[in-house]
Amino acid sequence: MAKKIGSEALGRFYKEGSKVRTRREWRGVKDTAYDFSRWLVIMGTLGKFIIKPRNMKAMLRYRWMANYLAVPMMVDRHTQGLRGEYLRMCHAEQDLIIDDVAKLLDKLFKGDRRIGNDEEFSKKVVLVDENEMTAVMMGFPMLETLSRETPSTYVPVLLNQHSMEYYMDIAEEFGLAPDVCPMPEAEAGVSINDDAPVLGACAIQCNTTCDGSLLGNGVISKRLELEDGIPVFQLAAPLRHREDDVQEYAAQEIRNAIAFIEKHTGAKWDWDAYFECAKRVNLATRCRQEWLDMNKTDYPQVFGSNLALYTETNYMAICGRVPAFAKVDRKLTKLAEKAYKKKKMMAKEYRHRAIIWGVQSHYYFDFLLWLLNCWGIVPLTDMLSMVSTKEIAEVDTPENREQAYYDMAWLTENMIMRNRTHGGYKVLLDELWDFVEEFNADMVILWEHMSCKALDGMHGMFEDRAREKGINLVWVEHDLFDPRIISRQGVRDQINNYMRTVMREEPIDPSLEVLPDDQSW
Amino acid sequence: MCKKCKCCSKLPWWSKLLIATTGIFGLLFTVYFFNLDMKLTAMMEPWLLKWYDHVDRDKHL
Repeated sequence: MAKKIGSEALGRFYKEGSKVRTRREWRGVKDTAYDFSRWLVIMGTLGKFIIKPRNMKAMLRYRWMANYLAVPMMVDRHTQGLRGEYLRMCHAEQDLIIDDVAKLLDKLFKGDRRIGNDEEFSKKVVLVDENEMTAVMMGFPMLETLSRETPSTYVPVLLNQHSMEYYMDIAEEFGLAPDVCPMPEAEAGVSINDDAPVLGACAIQCNTTCDGSLLGNGVISKRLELEDGIPVFQLAAPLRHREDDVQEYAAQEIRNAIAFIEKHTGAKWDWDAYFECAKRVNLATRCRQEWLDMNKTDYPQVFGSNLALYTETNYMAICGRVPAFAKVDRKLTKLAEKAYKKKKMMAKEYRHRAIIWGVQSHYYFDFLLWLLNCWGIVPLTDMLSMVSTKEIAEVDTPENREQAYYDMAWLTENMIMRNRTHGGYKVLLDELWDFVEEFNADMVILWEHMSCKALDGMHGMFEDRAREKGINLVWVEHDLFDPRIISRQGVRDQINNYMRTVMREEPIDPSLEVLPDDQSW
Repeated sequence: MCKKCKCCSKLPWWSKLLIATTGIFGLLFTVYFFNLDMKLTAMMEPWLLKWYDHVDRDKHL
């Protein structure tokens, strides 16, 4: 019986005041057996990680490591209600991301002066921002590209909604403005609290998303350079990234960053490695484009969390450097094609086709799946997944070596979120309505991240345009990393109220409308 | 297997293997299905958070 999509009321697994759910979902014999087998694999990955004494030492040193206790639950949140190909797609990507983060943590602690203190290894490490395209590292296969913010700040919020409250309070305690974006605020808090691993030959920071990230970078780089003796390069990508006249400057910034890395690590740029990575970047672009094309039809396949979480990781953090992701790109495409041919659906009913725009709530990333399971709203695509679809030069020729600097600059300028929050109203406002038409959407869910000034400034313009076009526009306020300001239920209530009062609809799964998950991970 | 138990000693090796595998499978599946892994780690978290409060740190801007 539970084999059928939507046959179990998903809200019944939540318990008031509990961090975790009462039990896992029964999905029929085949899908439950598959989910069970993947749970075993995840437990194996976690077991292999924690069995190393230095990783255990790090677990007891860094407060943010406690959030990794919740890894299996994060997967459960993103697989809620999924069956067949959709369940397999989710596991293919989530299991790879877990493995990749476990390797990242292992390497960070290996070089960390407080934990493994492997000095030879540390000399090969280049630290990069969490919100930064790693394109500039594509030609350095002999170096380790490690981000400290990804495992200490970004991933913990996906695991545990309350994970960054402690660090945000620390940052504010030391005088940082409380209305700044909670992401850089928490990153600064980790640094202030002396909770960032210390390693590396040098670091690259980028003026990625906003003035908030510049604030965080300032606090972090001061400690890195003046106390830890790790030189930092500030990669300043242009704001108006669609203009031709900024591209030469952007390419020069990439040349400067490469020269900086070569100087501090002694490594030499490898063109063969670069063009190998470029091929994988293009493969990822083609695959993503194919998924988006499917999502324009009546049978969308790779959407919601399956699209958003994977694109963020693959496009930005991986950027062609890890061959395993190319394998998963192909696997996802194959599964999507198979489901498309059979005209399969992820939920039992699709009522609305929605474009999700704005910066999504990080403490409620599985909201996209909730929209589908509770109200039948199909999140066809989201702003953070609408990144560059331009293929870059992938054949090694003298002309392409020059073009490569422009391609790396283009990717850096078009980093996730940055490609929309920077670049003016055309990329943020106008292109949304083009996508609404292309995807045949009847609804726009607009995240209003209350600390994101770049987006909030256009509130009225979004409303005017939605009225003109007759599109249902639903605002959903949140505070990115801080569920104390607007809780997960507070996020859900905004949709519930709209769907009941404006759309006059009843939920598909009423058990999901109100969930007691305030204390939940 | 218990030496005193005559039934066990009479069983062929493959039956013993089958029983052990079924037992391990049953145990793991029970942990998986009733979310016992997460319930256990949820109990560990408060202990860990208290531990971190006592770790020495050079806390400053």
